[in-house]
Amino acid sequence: MWTYLVEQIHIGDLIVAARWPLYLTALSMPMAVFFGLFLALMRLSSSKMLSWPSAAYIEIMRGTPLYVQLFLVYYTLPQIGIAFHTRALTLDPFPAAVICLAANYAAYEAEIHRAGLQAVDKGQREAALSIGMSEKQSFFLVTLPQAFRIILPPVINDAIAMLKDSCLASAIGVMELLKVAEGIGKNSEVGLANMYIAAGVLYMILSLGFYFLGKYIEIKLRARGGAELSLTQARH
Amino acid sequence: MQSPETTPSEPMLEARGIHKSYGSKHVLKGVDLTVVKAEVLTILGPNGCGKSTFLRCLNLLEQYQQGSVWLKGQQVSAGHPEDHVPSRVEQDQAQKLRQRVGMVFQRFNLFPHMTVMQNVMSGPKYVLKKSDDETHDIAEKMLKKVGLWEKSPCDPLTLSGGQQQRVAIARALAMNPDVMLFDEATSALDPVLTKEVFKVVRELAAEGMTMLLVTHDMDFARDIADRVVFMEGGIVAAQGSPSYIFDERPTEGIRKFLEKG
Repeated sequence: MWTYLVEQIHIGDLIVAARWPLYLTALSMPMAVFFGLFLALMRLSSSKMLSWPSAAYIEIMRGTPLYVQLFLVYYTLPQIGIAFHTRALTLDPFPAAVICLAANYAAYEAEIHRAGLQAVDKGQREAALSIGMSEKQSFFLVTLPQAFRIILPPVINDAIAMLKDSCLASAIGVMELLKVAEGIGKNSEVGLANMYIAAGVLYMILSLGFYFLGKYIEIKLRARGGAELSLTQARH
Repeated sequence: MQSPETTPSEPMLEARGIHKSYGSKHVLKGVDLTVVKAEVLTILGPNGCGKSTFLRCLNLLEQYQQGSVWLKGQQVSAGHPEDHVPSRVEQDQAQKLRQRVGMVFQRFNLFPHMTVMQNVMSGPKYVLKKSDDETHDIAEKMLKKVGLWEKSPCDPLTLSGGQQQRVAIARALAMNPDVMLFDEATSALDPVLTKEVFKVVRELAAEGMTMLLVTHDMDFARDIADRVVFMEGGIVAAQGSPSYIFDERPTEGIRKFLEKG
């Protein structure tokens, strides 16, 4: 069994390649969450100058395939001048993939943020204002921390989705886990199917990592009272 | 119809000709009201008469369209058209006003992600920017005042409604306000819990806190008030001593209102 894993599956190579989905997600997801918050605030704004561009961005990013976006960023962006100057007319595949994943998922995170912010009782803002806080303080000290508890599960959900979507980065040449597995499968007698299963198991393990990370944060927060509680109890 | 004012005293909070509309709905139609220092004023009226809206206009949680609000003889806000977006300066003024006018809400609105202690500390700490020691001392004093010091490390949502409302009162008091507004502070509570909140309000009255209370509890309104204000149809329909309002029932509206209750 062990020799099979090492000599036929090349498990060592796979594990090394598994760092790519992890890196891509660990870099792109926080960027997506951060950028998504700005998009959500723009979208919630009463000013059409802010809400419309945000809505347009969100619908375009959600409405087109990530695969297409990757190609555009990798091959087209350099041509309009935003080059990282590694090769004449192309971005490095890895930064291109990070930017693309972040930009794409920001659209989804924006909608999660929007729902989360709207789910926080309006009385919370009013209470904060009534003791003399500024709008800014009431947002950062009162509304946002409560929204964070609400958005955490769906954000972790998206982090797991991104982990697997990151395999699309192979389309622009990132030698990530799935690509490496395919390479081994094509050049040996172990077969593609077995290599896909092996890669799948590694993705699964990474996903579980995010799952437990999410659970850990949720439990830490719940120890300090959850926003879900306030929504149900505030009624009486 | 007004009973004669007999006590010339320092005006604390004054509303002049407040008009407020939501779209075509004219909710407040020129409300004039003056509260003097240490006066306890209860506002009664049928549902939809605008009493809560009026209270919220006083600390600018609602914008109003005409009129002005004065605190200790200084104008602190003015009416603006409905679509008016408050300027930076106006926002700062509103913030300053709210720092001096405490408010207690029907649904308590404690911050669920903070402990009881942190809730009460939030004003002195984040708004007044007092030192940690000072903040702690203020919060301790206020929680002791409402009899909940032993609950300071608790999650607010583990407390009873009455306790939550007392913490909310402590949180407002921690800002050392000139005036306290109570917006149906006991409407979400059963009679037993209502009692414990009223006890705190009585103690504040005895200490000379200036208070405006919107309430549906007639016995309490009569008992605690120096003056009772009856609102109907977006105006102050009558005001006077509790016995004037409750016994003499000077208007048809008051008679109907009190008989129903």
